[in-house]
Amino acid sequence: MPQSLAEFLDYYVANITGWNLPIALFGLLSAVIVILLFAMPLGGICTYIERKLAADFQERVGPNRVGPLGIFQFFADGVKMFLKEDTISKNADRMIFNLAPCLVTAGSLGAFAMIPFSKYVIGANLEIGVFFVMALGSLVSLGILLGAWSSDNKWSLLGGIRGAAQIVSYEIPLAIAVLSVVVVSGSMNMFKIVDVQGSGAGAHFWNIFHNPFVLINFFIYFVAALAECNRTPFDLPEAESELVSGFNTEFSGMRFGLYALAEFADIIMFSCIATALFLGGWHLPFFQIENIDLGLKIGDASLNPLIHTLIMTAVFLAKVAVLVFVVMWIRWTLPRLRVDQLMDLCWKYLIPIGFANLFLASLWMWIFSGKSMLQVLGSLLGVSA
Amino acid sequence: MSTVDIFVLAMAIMGVISAALVAFHPNILHAAVSLIFSLLSVAGLYGALGADFLAAAQLIIYVGGIIVVILFAVMMSENIYRSRFLDNGGKFLFPFTLSLVILFGLSKFIAATPWPRTEVVNRNLTTTVESIGLALVGPYAIVFQYVAIVLLSGLIGAVVVARPHHHEDEKRGA
Repeated sequence: MPQSLAEFLDYYVANITGWNLPIALFGLLSAVIVILLFAMPLGGICTYIERKLAADFQERVGPNRVGPLGIFQFFADGVKMFLKEDTISKNADRMIFNLAPCLVTAGSLGAFAMIPFSKYVIGANLEIGVFFVMALGSLVSLGILLGAWSSDNKWSLLGGIRGAAQIVSYEIPLAIAVLSVVVVSGSMNMFKIVDVQGSGAGAHFWNIFHNPFVLINFFIYFVAALAECNRTPFDLPEAESELVSGFNTEFSGMRFGLYALAEFADIIMFSCIATALFLGGWHLPFFQIENIDLGLKIGDASLNPLIHTLIMTAVFLAKVAVLVFVVMWIRWTLPRLRVDQLMDLCWKYLIPIGFANLFLASLWMWIFSGKSMLQVLGSLLGVSA
Repeated sequence: MSTVDIFVLAMAIMGVISAALVAFHPNILHAAVSLIFSLLSVAGLYGALGADFLAAAQLIIYVGGIIVVILFAVMMSENIYRSRFLDNGGKFLFPFTLSLVILFGLSKFIAATPWPRTEVVNRNLTTTVESIGLALVGPYAIVFQYVAIVLLSGLIGAVVVARPHHHEDEKRGA
């Protein structure tokens, strides 16, 4: 079973320095690590990559003045956001105005605790991992709606209402797509879901290739996740051409920064979930990372878990990066949907197709007693998969 | 006092304070926002007592669903920022007496009931997902189906209310 990040840090610090520090300290430290050293820089780098990609798609150069290839542009953006005058409009509801960005950030960053980046380390190994991630996502819709209302601005309010309606609707196809994976792997624990997707003997291949219905549900998940992050073609809550900037029109300085960070954190988080649930998490096809042994040691502690953790995290993040790239690619390629088209897509197409797939995936599990596509094909051809 | 006890105490205090705010805050939008924290503290209590699935369900259903609906309702109502708790001048004597009587009766009942003091509290923090799932398709299958039908009829009712009435216009035109 995996350790929590706090236990992992405690183990290595105790072995290297011989100090016995309380585990609660490492708990706090790991939260700081995840937020300050992982989510925030990653969100910043995402803004840079997004600008560069947008420039490529539009045949421009993009940011190129700050550092080589403009790579420090996001530092400049961050400094700008910190130093910007923090304005609150006169008739704003100050208490809620201050609370709303915090709710959005808490919802999207909190979910990172449940993502299993490697076989050994996970923020919190909950049995209800997937379900809890979905539950935390609901804080985001609240934050958007409340922030929009409290800024006392018609455009904000329209954007916020669109956002809440959209997120609440698209949670259903998202949950159905996730449920089909839960049916296939028989657990809601994110770690167990990833662990059974190994390519070792007896274990089936990645969940996306488990059966055709999960494959279709992966695309339903992806479309619904796009809508949950308010990304194009579903960026109606912040439709620039109609609503100025939508729900975050009145926010400036670091409050706006939190909304922007939460948007990118949301994209990364949904890509992480997609990677863990459908794309095999830290697993590489035909190769077990656990088998690498370099024989390095510090004191009595073998360095193997640390090395495996780093490689697995790199593999995981590489898959996430591909998904994030697709999200950005879609943003700069597709136009925005209308509100009625958005709701049609959700209620008339994604939900019925998702439900049918969930039912058929359960049927597949019952008929083929849990075997994957490849195993069924293998036994038909007389090859042991 | 263990960490779990401290957590339970903190959640209980947060729940009581935010529930009082819900009841007494003059601004109904702020009251609705404190309801979020009240429900969050209930979810925290479930979590601390080992009911992990219930805690997440509380978050996803109440915080993610019901609160959004309540917020929409509040935003559509008038006088959000001006209504006051004692606005209905003097007409609170009868409700006050009635609620005192109810409080008295309830506390009598609570004191008189022999509460089972079994150690059902899940202190090992093992998961409850499997047992809940088995109970829902086993002994409570009929109730589960009944709830599903109630929810489905609610959904169909909402669609009937919300759908555009093109047919009547066409008839009137013809």
